[in-house]
Amino acid sequence: MSSPKDETENAKLREKFTTPTNFKTRALFYNEADPCTDLENQLTEFVNSLFWVLESKRLERSREKLERVSLLLAPFEKKDFVGLDMDSRNNKKRCTGRMTKHLGDLCLQAGLLSESITYYHSAAETLKSVNDWLWLGAAFEGLCASSALVLYPNIQRNVSLHRNASLPEGSPKRTNSITPSVGTVRRDIINMLPPDEISKKYREAIIHYSKYQNAGIIETEASFKAARISVEQSHSLQAASFLQNVVFINLTLSEQEKIQRFETLSDLYVQIGFTRKAAFCQRLAATRHVSPQNPTPNWNKCYTLILQSFPGHKISLDPTEMCHDNQPSGWPALQIQLLQELVVAAKRMGHSALATRHMTFLLQTMWLHLSTSEQKEFAIQLQSLSSQCEGAPVPLVLDSGIVIPPANLSNVPVCLGFSLRNLQPHLQPRKIETFKQDIGPFLFTPIKFGTLERTNNKPQSKMDFLWVENDVCEVTLKLVNPLPLELKVSNMRLLTSGVVFESIPETVVLPSDTPTSLTLNGTPKESGELEILGYSTHTLGVKSNCRLRYMSNFLPSYSIEVIPILPTMEIKTSLPQSATFSSLQNFENVVTSASISLYNGESTECTITLTNNSHVPIEMIEVSIQSVLEASLQDQIFKWSQENLESQLPLMPNGTASLTLYLYSAANFLTSGFGPTELSSGVFGSSHGSSSIMSMSAGPSSLPSRLNSPVYSAMGSSFHGARRNELNSSFRSSNSGQSSMTTAGYRSPGALTLPQHATTAVVEGQLQLRYSGGAGFQAGYCRSCSIFITLEMLPCLQVTNWDVLPAETSSQFYLVLDIANMTSQEMELHYTPTKHMLIESHESCRIPVPVNRCPLSKLTKLYMDQNSITNNHLDLDKICSDHIANLVDLRWQLLSLNTKGKATLKGITLTPNMLDIVRMSPLNWEVSINGDFLKPQEEINCDAGDCLSVRIGISNSLEKPLQQLVLSVQFYQDHRNGTHNYKLETRVVIVGCAKKVLPILEPQSKAWHACSVLFLTPGQYKMDIKCCTPDHSTTNSSVVGASGHSWRYIPVVDVNVNI
Amino acid sequence: MAVCAAIIGKDNSPKYFTCINPDEELGFQYKVLSSLDVVEEKLNNGTKSGSDSRELYLGLLYSLERHKIYGYVTNTKIKFIIVIDSTNTSLRDNEVRSMFRKLHSIYADNVCNPFYIPDEPINSKSFDKSVKNIMSGA
Repeated sequence: MSSPKDETENAKLREKFTTPTNFKTRALFYNEADPCTDLENQLTEFVNSLFWVLESKRLERSREKLERVSLLLAPFEKKDFVGLDMDSRNNKKRCTGRMTKHLGDLCLQAGLLSESITYYHSAAETLKSVNDWLWLGAAFEGLCASSALVLYPNIQRNVSLHRNASLPEGSPKRTNSITPSVGTVRRDIINMLPPDEISKKYREAIIHYSKYQNAGIIETEASFKAARISVEQSHSLQAASFLQNVVFINLTLSEQEKIQRFETLSDLYVQIGFTRKAAFCQRLAATRHVSPQNPTPNWNKCYTLILQSFPGHKISLDPTEMCHDNQPSGWPALQIQLLQELVVAAKRMGHSALATRHMTFLLQTMWLHLSTSEQKEFAIQLQSLSSQCEGAPVPLVLDSGIVIPPANLSNVPVCLGFSLRNLQPHLQPRKIETFKQDIGPFLFTPIKFGTLERTNNKPQSKMDFLWVENDVCEVTLKLVNPLPLELKVSNMRLLTSGVVFESIPETVVLPSDTPTSLTLNGTPKESGELEILGYSTHTLGVKSNCRLRYMSNFLPSYSIEVIPILPTMEIKTSLPQSATFSSLQNFENVVTSASISLYNGESTECTITLTNNSHVPIEMIEVSIQSVLEASLQDQIFKWSQENLESQLPLMPNGTASLTLYLYSAANFLTSGFGPTELSSGVFGSSHGSSSIMSMSAGPSSLPSRLNSPVYSAMGSSFHGARRNELNSSFRSSNSGQSSMTTAGYRSPGALTLPQHATTAVVEGQLQLRYSGGAGFQAGYCRSCSIFITLEMLPCLQVTNWDVLPAETSSQFYLVLDIANMTSQEMELHYTPTKHMLIESHESCRIPVPVNRCPLSKLTKLYMDQNSITNNHLDLDKICSDHIANLVDLRWQLLSLNTKGKATLKGITLTPNMLDIVRMSPLNWEVSINGDFLKPQEEINCDAGDCLSVRIGISNSLEKPLQQLVLSVQFYQDHRNGTHNYKLETRVVIVGCAKKVLPILEPQSKAWHACSVLFLTPGQYKMDIKCCTPDHSTTNSSVVGASGHSWRYIPVVDVNVNI
Repeated sequence: MAVCAAIIGKDNSPKYFTCINPDEELGFQYKVLSSLDVVEEKLNNGTKSGSDSRELYLGLLYSLERHKIYGYVTNTKIKFIIVIDSTNTSLRDNEVRSMFRKLHSIYADNVCNPFYIPDEPINSKSFDKSVKNIMSGA
């Protein structure tokens, strides 16, 4: 009872719940929240009083005389007994039997099982004899019931009552806890049925009942009871047959009762483990709830029942379980029908969110089992359902507490490909410094340590490239719309975990059955590990999260490293963009290009404007050039100032910096600046030959018969003798030619002298800019982009041939150049500060350029270092070549185009004989004839028979002593046809020594040699004065061979001997 | 004459289903599916008894108002179900048994087909034709 303070409240309640006066009942009131301390006691008392009522009734009946009792009748039996003799012996027996059965009932109700069994048994005997089938069945049923109660006292109580916290501890024990002992005691009751007899008797009873049309209800109940006992006996098949019988009983039941019958059936089927059968009954019950005959259709109950029947049909409400486990044990056709019914029920319930959810589920899980027309039909249904309530990927909770998990449509549209994209090449982050990994002494090993997995072709979930914070990153999807109608998919985003990622929604309209590629963009907002789990869609009115984990043919997720923010830069050049890119490697990160044409020797500037279009300052820019050219040439062509650029850093957001790139069209102006192999090629050799022939035939006879070229330098010293003559001849002949050349130059006729190989060259280079800033710079990353530069180098001026001639003064020499104008414009060439000339288009001309001889100071190192002789010649060549290249300043101008340029003779090659002219002689000569000093290029005239006293003085202008010098004087005659006559014994007599050996010549010291010459016959003679050193390799040998170096007195002295 | 025949895999998923009247297929599917409970129960009992040489023919699974459902299980737990019209009294237990034997033999033939992947639904036209023949009692 309630506590005193609630008394007034209880009084009110009592008023409200007062029982009618004719009820002999006692009402007990309990407050909702109060502990019901005496509830159990009260109920025990109530049960006790019930027992006493039954017991009194039993005693009352059992005192009656069995012979006197009236006939007990079932309500529908009344008319069966009309007109029957009630006093017949048969009838008396019937009365007795029925009464005995009734007594049995009372005993059973009072809990006197053994007595009831006795009564039932005798009743059955009696009733059998009079063929009272209905009551016989009833007696059998009673017998079975009592026996079962004895055998299975806990029948149908297997679900023990859980004591709630509200039930006090000290309450009396429930009765069922003591019955087992009773059961065991009474096992030996006579006439009690053994377990397997029970179901037999039940079957008999049911057969008897079935003879009466009106006994349907009893028959049904008997069947249920029999089934329950069979369940208890674990005879599932028997139970099933009893339950099966229920369906056959023809009953006029209300819809509600029919439903109840099906629910009971399904409950019992579940108990025997016949889940499919139970599901079948549940579905029937569900359909009864909403059948047209049902006056009160209840869609809610229908829905609940269908939902309950799902386990029997192997439907799990979680689509991931349905799809992923790939257990095809369900029957698709039935599942589809059930789901459709469920959708209808949910819709009729007015719960459109549920209807949408189940329709989505149906489409998603049953997709493969649907025909194309069904797919289309269901998709359209889903669209109309979702127009009422949009589907969202959140679990729905029903009032009953059932949670409907989200259903995601990953079949509409189907995703065929999912791949993360690397950033564009010029935006890809790169490590600023790449350290070489120490991989040990072995560069490659086929053995993979620590793993047995040999195949590395498996798709990796971890990407091997990087994304950058705040950069737009891409994922490409390949989608196919399987529906025969156009599908609009909106709000597609990426599903990620890890760092914060801002996905940009995409909308796409997919045509039917055509693979479509789609790029989903997003921006990571932090650096760290990013995981891409899938994508979300909004299609057919349903929002879905399609996770790769639940989709076949995909890895469960992709992960990628996001590095801290890096700046981006926009690049513009002042030059026009190039039309094409060549096959230069690694040009995918080219962002812009520049192209220009320059004549060889011309230079220009290219301004590169760098704009920071990010929000991060650029703190570092590195510039480098890449091309296939060799480094020195590359540095000549491309120049820039890194310092100037660095002074403009840091480059703030939206700030600009400029970088000036100096371009110079550096080309080889020398035609013959090729290696010996190339020279020996037929084309060049012939052209060279023809040019020399032309110059010989067309030029004045005094011109050098042969312009020296390095062709001959490649030939060995075996030509030494011949060469000497050539050189002499050239010197001699140039004497007269020089005057004309210096004034007007020489114009060669025709274009034959033009080199044939001079064509346009295209130089391609990539100006690579590596830049970084912000947090990404701290992390050691930068970006790299490059500008593609195409430089077309047009041929302009070409030196086709060259030679050197001694000048009037010993401090200079003439460099004679054949210069060709390769342009189609008239060219003005400035070759000395004061001299210039015009060259017509595609013409060539010869110019002499006075050049200071190479001073000895530049060469001392060579002479000093006697030991390193191997490269002596090459070094000498190089020094002299550089000397010429530095001094000769050829400036050209194309008058019509107003372009200017400069040509260099860098790389000019010289023969050893040329070298002697080019460099200052280490020996200073003083030659006097008859006591008069000989001036350069002075001829000596004398008469035959005159004696000339020749006095030769040499002084060493080197800084070291010269050893083993051989000074010699020789006379010869030049026949001007390439042959020299040295056999002059009959013509010249030398008085004194023609040779003198000087063991040592100290620096700055002078040595003298004198002799006299007598010319016997008149003629033109030449006096060759030379000084030889022995070959260094044969230092000790006294032989003064031709192999040693020799210096000549240049020019050779001409002696005209007159008669 | 059988009205419906079904072959059910060991995981109780349908591998083949056919019936004389295609409109009633769904109803038959419900009936056949529910009969699987009985089959499973019988199989469980069979293993309990431990009889190795188990009879493949399960006999009448249960009878409905209009139909009788018979079952047959191979040693690999492939279930054959045949539904027979209750009014058809000409078919006795023995006839049904021989129908099952024929069904089993053509099923075995089908499994022997190298192009058939075991445990996949059977789509073979010739198999369908043979089953129809068996059902019609030819």
